[in-house]
Amino acid sequence: MAKQYEIPVGAQHISLLEPLHFKFTTENEKIVSTTANIYYVHRGIEKACCTKFKFRQVSFVVGRVCGLCSISHTTAYSQVAEKLIKIEIPARAKYLRMLVIELDRIHSHLLCLSHVAENSGFEALFMKTMQYREAFMELLEAVCGNRVQYDFSIVGGVARDLKPEVAMMIIGRLKKFKSQLDELVDIFQNNWTLGLKNKNAGAITREDAMRLNVVGPFARAAGLAVDVRNESQELLPWIEVGFKIITETGGDAYSRSLVRLREIYVSMRMVENIINGLPESALITETKAFPDGEAVVRIEAPRGELFYYAKGNKTQILERLKIKAPTFSNVSAMLEGFEGNEYGSVPAIIASYDPCLSCTSR
Amino acid sequence: MKRIETTIQNLKKDIGHFYQPELYHFIVMNAVDLGEKIELQWFFGDYTEPFEIIAFCAQITPDVEIPSITSIVPSAWVAEAELVDLIDIRIENTSKGFVLEPDFESGPLRKGK
Amino acid sequence: MVPCRQLLPRTILACHARHDEKRLMMKTFFKAIGNLFKRPVTVRYPFEKTYIPDDYRGVIDFDEQLCIWCRRCEMACPPGAIVFSQDMQGKQTYHYNRAVCIFCKECVRTCPKEGALLQTNQPAKFALKEENINNGWNALFEEAVVSREKYAAEKKRVAAEKAAAAKAATAKQ
Repeated sequence: MAKQYEIPVGAQHISLLEPLHFKFTTENEKIVSTTANIYYVHRGIEKACCTKFKFRQVSFVVGRVCGLCSISHTTAYSQVAEKLIKIEIPARAKYLRMLVIELDRIHSHLLCLSHVAENSGFEALFMKTMQYREAFMELLEAVCGNRVQYDFSIVGGVARDLKPEVAMMIIGRLKKFKSQLDELVDIFQNNWTLGLKNKNAGAITREDAMRLNVVGPFARAAGLAVDVRNESQELLPWIEVGFKIITETGGDAYSRSLVRLREIYVSMRMVENIINGLPESALITETKAFPDGEAVVRIEAPRGELFYYAKGNKTQILERLKIKAPTFSNVSAMLEGFEGNEYGSVPAIIASYDPCLSCTSR
Repeated sequence: MKRIETTIQNLKKDIGHFYQPELYHFIVMNAVDLGEKIELQWFFGDYTEPFEIIAFCAQITPDVEIPSITSIVPSAWVAEAELVDLIDIRIENTSKGFVLEPDFESGPLRKGK
Repeated sequence: MVPCRQLLPRTILACHARHDEKRLMMKTFFKAIGNLFKRPVTVRYPFEKTYIPDDYRGVIDFDEQLCIWCRRCEMACPPGAIVFSQDMQGKQTYHYNRAVCIFCKECVRTCPKEGALLQTNQPAKFALKEENINNGWNALFEEAVVSREKYAAEKKRVAAEKAAAAKAATAKQ
């Protein structure tokens, strides 16, 4: 048997965007097994939300769990708090929440794709994708007032309205972006050197994905059609605005890039449908009730299924809040996906998994 | 959300009969501190219609050792390791130290800490 | 026997690439040459302006004439950036910390009087060392809460004295 070496890819590494730590056991550069350490940025948010903050202020605290999927956390918390105080939000607020969630999905997928290109060595593509993403950051600043921390969903509705000139700006930029996206799909799909680095890297099969309960584009690239937008229509009407599920077979880093690119097309169509059909109504439902009972909510963040559980006890402060991030479910599958690969492809594989450790170790 | 009440002794039997990887997926394990007792919840979601969330709930006193469901659901070890550190319960084959440093006061999510 | 594929240099392997890959290689090659003659897309930031919308979320403005001193904004603020202190005559003063504020507009939404609190579109100015904006604010916050409690205790004492004096007066008669 060949000699086994243990190599760490540590919490600080030149190619990692997130603070995670893997320790690989390798034989002649092929990875045999892995262990992980993921709790570097644990901040105790669940404890703070149940002692220091009142339930209406918690939506601002929870939006700071993650910088990329901030709107998913605030919307999911607002939905679970609305279930606890038993109110319904107006129709315009629902569609505005969906609009910002889809714009956020586009910018998050473009960030992940640019990171995959950077770790595969293709720095020109990294810069090009980031340039296209800049247009969406300006759009989000026009809609929400800020580029990264939106503070858009509050308990009872949404904080800001969509002005007509901003709606025109969104439609104009989406038209311009379509040809740019076609160019990106052409490069990610057909570039020979990118394919050499990404094909068969970090592959999992559909049976593995089902056995390990994988969520998000990671699962959809392996052939498992699981998406919360397909499954729950009672709180936000996804299928009505034109949602279609995207799957691929293959399960490797190449398929994951293609799933993310095709999801951007679906998101663009949903944004156009929402702007063309936005109903007129109020923005916030006022109420003076206190939260009571327990409730659960699931929502589709850009990386997978986000789950919230909350319990109230008729006072201003919640009794228990539990957050489950999408990367939390994917940890076991990430460790299995490394097996059989060479140690040199590890940065490209980690980038294609798209981990978000701030959500995981809140 | 559909609640199914169970006990620690019947846990592996109930979840073993219920869980099939093609129909259900495991979401997370949760624990709520109720004062003298701790309520544990295991959440499962549907892959096929009607897409509801099923919760297996059990109430225990804090010093009981809880069986681990990793023989039925292999990816549950992350959720169990987190709860052992944060709520200070004991689960079989799981040791402390995954989340918090060894010299940190354990069980910060308990009431009164 | 080592497989031949590993011995062939990469250029020869390129001849085996599929039709799509070859087409893309040609297209990218000519596009890269064309890029030599185009302007860069970088916005030279301090010298050129970037896009800032006119309803950008900025600092909070306070109008003292319209305020009714109900203190609901202080209870609603998530990070605790507003505090009211009270002197012994009962007059309240508004204190706001632009470095703790998260510009979420909860105070504006909770205020019952329209126009007392407004959100401008100016970003917060940088804080200087002499302002002591961190530890100085924490001390100010505690002082303000204590001053309100002192005023409330004083008011209660004066009211209790008055009630005792009135009772003594009616008992005498």
